[in-house]
Amino acid sequence: MLNLSSFVQKAQQLLDPNQGLNLTDSDRNPSKASLFQAQFRLPASQHPLYEITAELTIPLANATQSDRDRERGYQYAGKLHLSESYLCFSTTPSSFLQSASTPTSSIFTGQTHGGGPSGNGFTFPLSSIRRVERLHSQNFQFALAISTWNGISQEAAKEKDKKDLREQRITIQLASSRQACERFCDGLKKGLRTNVGNVAKLKKVMSECYSEYLLRPEEQKNATPPDAGLGLIFKYPGDPKKLRDRAKMRLWAEYLRDNGRNATLIRQPTFHKLIRVGLPNRLRGEMWELTSGSLYLRLENPTLYADTLAKHSGMESLAIDEIEKDLNRSLPEYPGFQSEEGIGRLRRVLTAYSWVNADVGYCQAMNIVVAALLIYMSEAQAFFLLSTLCDRLVPGYYSTTMYGTLLDQKVFESLVEKTMPILWEHLVKSDVQLSVVSLPWFLSLYINSMPLVFAFRVLDVFFVEGPKVLFQVGLAILRINGEELLDAADDGAFISVLKSYFSRLDESAHPKSENPKLRAVTRFQELMVVAFKEFSAITHNSITELRLKNKDAVLNNIESFAKRTAIRNLGPDSKLLSADELAALYDRFYGVLYERQQRDHIIKQEQARRAKNNRSRAAVEAHDDHGVEKGRVGLGPSTSLMDYDAFREFLAGMSKWAISDAPSTPRRETVGDKQAGFYASFRRTDATLSPWGAGPEPANHEFLERLFRKWDVGSASALTLQNVVSGMARIKGKRDIMGTINYFFELHDDDGDGKVDREGILRMSEALLFLSRRGLEGTLSPSSSSLTLSTDNVNGGGEAPGQSVNERFLGSVSAFIRRCFEYADPDHPQNQNAIQDVQERLDAQKLEDIVDEELADPDAFAIGDDDDEDDDLLTMESPTASPKTAAIRPDKKSGQPPELQLNSSSSGLRADDDGMSARRRVSKAQSEKANAALDPSNPLHITLPTFRMVVLADELLEQFFESSFPTSFHIIEGLASSATPTSASSLTTFSSLGIGAGRAVNAALGGTAGAPGAPAGGRGLRGVLDNIVTDGMRVAAEVRRRMEEAQRELEKNALPGQRNEDEDDEDEDDAGIERPPGAGKSGGAYSGDAERRSVRSSDRDLLTGADAEASDATAAAAGRASGSLEGGSGGNGPGNDGSGKGAGAGAGKVVGVEFDG
Amino acid sequence: MADSGAPKPSSSVKLVLLGEAAVGKSSLVLRFVNNDFQENKEPTIGAAFLTQKCNLPTRTIKFEIWDTAGQERFASLAPMYYRNAQAALVVYDLTKPTSLIKAKHWVAELQRQASPGIVIALVGNKLDLTNDAAGGDGEGAGGDGEGDARKVTTEEAKSYAEEEGLLFFETSAKTGYNVTEVFTAIANAIPETSLKTARGPGASSAAARTEEQRVNLNGPRDPNAKEGCAC
Repeated sequence: MLNLSSFVQKAQQLLDPNQGLNLTDSDRNPSKASLFQAQFRLPASQHPLYEITAELTIPLANATQSDRDRERGYQYAGKLHLSESYLCFSTTPSSFLQSASTPTSSIFTGQTHGGGPSGNGFTFPLSSIRRVERLHSQNFQFALAISTWNGISQEAAKEKDKKDLREQRITIQLASSRQACERFCDGLKKGLRTNVGNVAKLKKVMSECYSEYLLRPEEQKNATPPDAGLGLIFKYPGDPKKLRDRAKMRLWAEYLRDNGRNATLIRQPTFHKLIRVGLPNRLRGEMWELTSGSLYLRLENPTLYADTLAKHSGMESLAIDEIEKDLNRSLPEYPGFQSEEGIGRLRRVLTAYSWVNADVGYCQAMNIVVAALLIYMSEAQAFFLLSTLCDRLVPGYYSTTMYGTLLDQKVFESLVEKTMPILWEHLVKSDVQLSVVSLPWFLSLYINSMPLVFAFRVLDVFFVEGPKVLFQVGLAILRINGEELLDAADDGAFISVLKSYFSRLDESAHPKSENPKLRAVTRFQELMVVAFKEFSAITHNSITELRLKNKDAVLNNIESFAKRTAIRNLGPDSKLLSADELAALYDRFYGVLYERQQRDHIIKQEQARRAKNNRSRAAVEAHDDHGVEKGRVGLGPSTSLMDYDAFREFLAGMSKWAISDAPSTPRRETVGDKQAGFYASFRRTDATLSPWGAGPEPANHEFLERLFRKWDVGSASALTLQNVVSGMARIKGKRDIMGTINYFFELHDDDGDGKVDREGILRMSEALLFLSRRGLEGTLSPSSSSLTLSTDNVNGGGEAPGQSVNERFLGSVSAFIRRCFEYADPDHPQNQNAIQDVQERLDAQKLEDIVDEELADPDAFAIGDDDDEDDDLLTMESPTASPKTAAIRPDKKSGQPPELQLNSSSSGLRADDDGMSARRRVSKAQSEKANAALDPSNPLHITLPTFRMVVLADELLEQFFESSFPTSFHIIEGLASSATPTSASSLTTFSSLGIGAGRAVNAALGGTAGAPGAPAGGRGLRGVLDNIVTDGMRVAAEVRRRMEEAQRELEKNALPGQRNEDEDDEDEDDAGIERPPGAGKSGGAYSGDAERRSVRSSDRDLLTGADAEASDATAAAAGRASGSLEGGSGGNGPGNDGSGKGAGAGAGKVVGVEFDG
Repeated sequence: MADSGAPKPSSSVKLVLLGEAAVGKSSLVLRFVNNDFQENKEPTIGAAFLTQKCNLPTRTIKFEIWDTAGQERFASLAPMYYRNAQAALVVYDLTKPTSLIKAKHWVAELQRQASPGIVIALVGNKLDLTNDAAGGDGEGAGGDGEGDARKVTTEEAKSYAEEEGLLFFETSAKTGYNVTEVFTAIANAIPETSLKTARGPGASSAAARTEEQRVNLNGPRDPNAKEGCAC
């Protein structure tokens, strides 16, 4: 039974606790690089390149450099990691190899024992390394001696006299196979070489660190100290005596002297202890910067802050307005922020950040946090630290949806429920919402909840150990006040208990105790002990897990709120659509944006992977997979704009006609060729990774562009939801045919002058064909009813019943063109150019394909005379109607003339002999007439009334505008099986249609094309007609064949594209690589040899006091990794001679990489 | 005991303030609670909580006021605060038409999402910046005189308020004009039936104790300083 239960347990562990949640891949499976960056607090540009098991030896005193000391210093077993520009050592045995399991890569997020996520060790920028030597091997060990630039100014380095330099020198024994060691060393050599150029940058950044000033010999201290915040001018908060600031400073000076400063600091257990007791004022800013890793960001781009300010100087933004409102009310109790100096700094930092991260911009509470930072650090330091906060430490806290804040509240609540069930029950019973109280704690990092001095103590730990500290402190507050909180019956009482607690943090925690030591413990000290001892089980790991678990629900909440609000605020246009339609539009809009963003990410990853496979690492470096999440509405507004491609995809999700007919790449080319000049602008896409995902590829037709431009009211080349809703409301909202017709006309009226020229007319007809090529939808009058009305005299009867609506529509469109030209008004000569263009375009088409039975339709021009439907309309709405238009309106008040129907039914692709001959009879006369109308030397245009008239003259067109066009937007239901057509007969395929369209249009202009001496290939209308007559049957058969062919093609391709997305091979075996717990030899205990210390013994008690209690002694137990040090076999390596480097331009760096056998 | 002298029944009402940033929500509350006005107030992070009593002839209403942050992105936190609220003060700035639009959004949000029967008052603040500032006649003034910063006419807001069934006031937190009237009107508008007796038999010493603390917490307060209200 025991076996069984343990088996069940194991199975449960194996089961993904987050299954079924809508989480992104990066949530579940953070990349090795991001974990590596998180552990060592490195910028996103760094990737784990090499790693190796190693033992770090720190000599007791760096002053002496003799090899003897190597045997006696502090020793730590751990792992050495190399990235592009960093060499990191950590006692946390995490591994970032591609083959390492995720738990192995994220060990650091577990119990930290006060060691911080990066454990004991160091994070050296490669540019801080001065010299690496391969030591003469003893016992076949592969050992490196690394000396750094620590404390060495450039001047001093130039002097040959290095005797009084206290060079920082550490030794590292690599414990792996000889080969692995060599590989690592090669990588290191390469890295050192590429980073030589950064030495000057490093030294500049370092010179701004207070520690440099602190450790300078007394005689050189005349220079002004580096900016250590407003505190230098306005005093630091709190009583320095009470804070024992001097004693702390002495301890730190000692530590830094022994272990390196700023970039070259080595973390040993004392480091973490020193932080737990509270940082001294002047070093606080620097240590925050170092422990949070923002120092490395600054190192990467030291001038970013100044550059950003300079670049945006004088510019305005919404964020700046918001910032201005709050400047005077940020920590107003601190004198520095009652002065222009302090306010100016605050303004600049917040403004600069709002420019570099426009997605976040400015969020209230940032002013408070930054104000606090500025007391201890320079503007540039605060700027980078803010960046680190927003991206890594408290992600999403200040985003426009504040999802991070809400998420952490949920996490906090679940922690309270778990750790303090009685209190939780009480909260639920008395309907007190915890987050109402705790939200400001997290959002402003306790800064305006606790007195400043205490809030800063929390921050000290927070920057080393990460966000879990916020939770630990929050839980401790509730635990300590548990009794009183249980008495509080409502929100108000709850708040007041805590407020009064915060105001008494400096009082004794045990005022009545007999024991003076106990009496001396303040409430704050008690808080820290409870937070870090009692809640030591709260680790970065458990927080991460809880965040994952709650993330989806929180985002959904935010999204439903955002949706509700957004839809409600869409303005009057939105009232034209139903609530369901709006909701569906909203979902589709953001759905497309989100999917595209995800896809983009995957494609980028794939590209990165390929680049990596191609061993072109340089290309990968630019790619940043650590970047802030985007896409979901709940995460922020980063993608609330829809560009043209997204718009196409958006439409393809609900309208048949918006789906491309050429789903596969190779095919697309041929089709594109065939329709050159018509649908020529197909986008070439990556052959394997479709940018459209699994969905159908959207079409790219001029009509879509027009629609996009029309909806894009602000001409921003992107649509907002508001644009989309307003645009859709015009089409679908009114359900009124006139509105739709007007809209369609406006779409093609480029200059908005109420006229559409010859080119425009052609575009309109193209658009009509484009929209109808997959069949018409909506309520169309059954063709049979019209057939009964139709007279047989023209078409020879018998043909019409076989014709589908779509075929008839073709006819309608061609009739449309003819009528447009017939009733068009003459234009001014300036349109000549446009006409010329049309002609050229048409000439380019394959005219031999022209098979136009339409033009020959005898009704084509007669019909116009029967048109009377919009008599009133025309006279009323267009007083400007040209005389010609008026003239052709005879006064026949008969109803919808049967001829209209005839006309459209005669337009079938299957022309039979009778039809042909009938047409032929009239065609000659008509074509001449048409020629006159089409003569490009008479530019012309149609007006809206003419357009309306022409549309209404045709029943099918009328129905198209009345119902089929608006209905073709399936906002709510979408397209069921995407492009799969329902029945073969109802489908007019793109290719066949393309032919049809080409024919119709070409024929309409056919005469003109040839007339003004157009180049060869243009054939006269007459020739075309002759062709039809002689080859009528053949052509019809050909057309049908092509149609069917295209149909098959389409059906084949319409199947949802099954892409084999290559699984990332990142995480194969979860078989835990077991590592023995850090039981090994613990790092040498702190042995204070008193002689050279300026530290007084009384200072020391700081480290043993109540504060220090909070820091775990276990920190010292720097685990030694399993494998015994494996000496490389052969003693003599292949001549890795020192590639000495005097090259360091200006910096005068000597990177001696000496690997002698 | 704060309540010991009052023979009238006392009940507490949860009231939430909503509105665009910098329309003067916190200032209205500060005026009502402390009869004070500050040019530079710390921004509200999340929400601030304050209490104030309002004595009506027949009963005492204790307002538990949730003053929310106005910045747009804090909007998603609002549901947390207006949950269970019995009254809401939706504030706009008379000199900023967009703030009325935002106010309308809030009204719509409350009408759909908040507890049914919530009493909503629409308040146009910053009357001191308009020409009607001096006179007590806030209503009927057209609002397009010279030097007048008013951008939202009384008629426009009032007719909207009537349409939606809201209480409507124009106030100045700076001068104190009409401020207590708003709260008194809300207190009167709360239906008797929806009032829970806050200091009922269930809430014993605990409630009383917190009451004391709360008085301390909110700092010095002069209950007699009010002109309009008898609190």
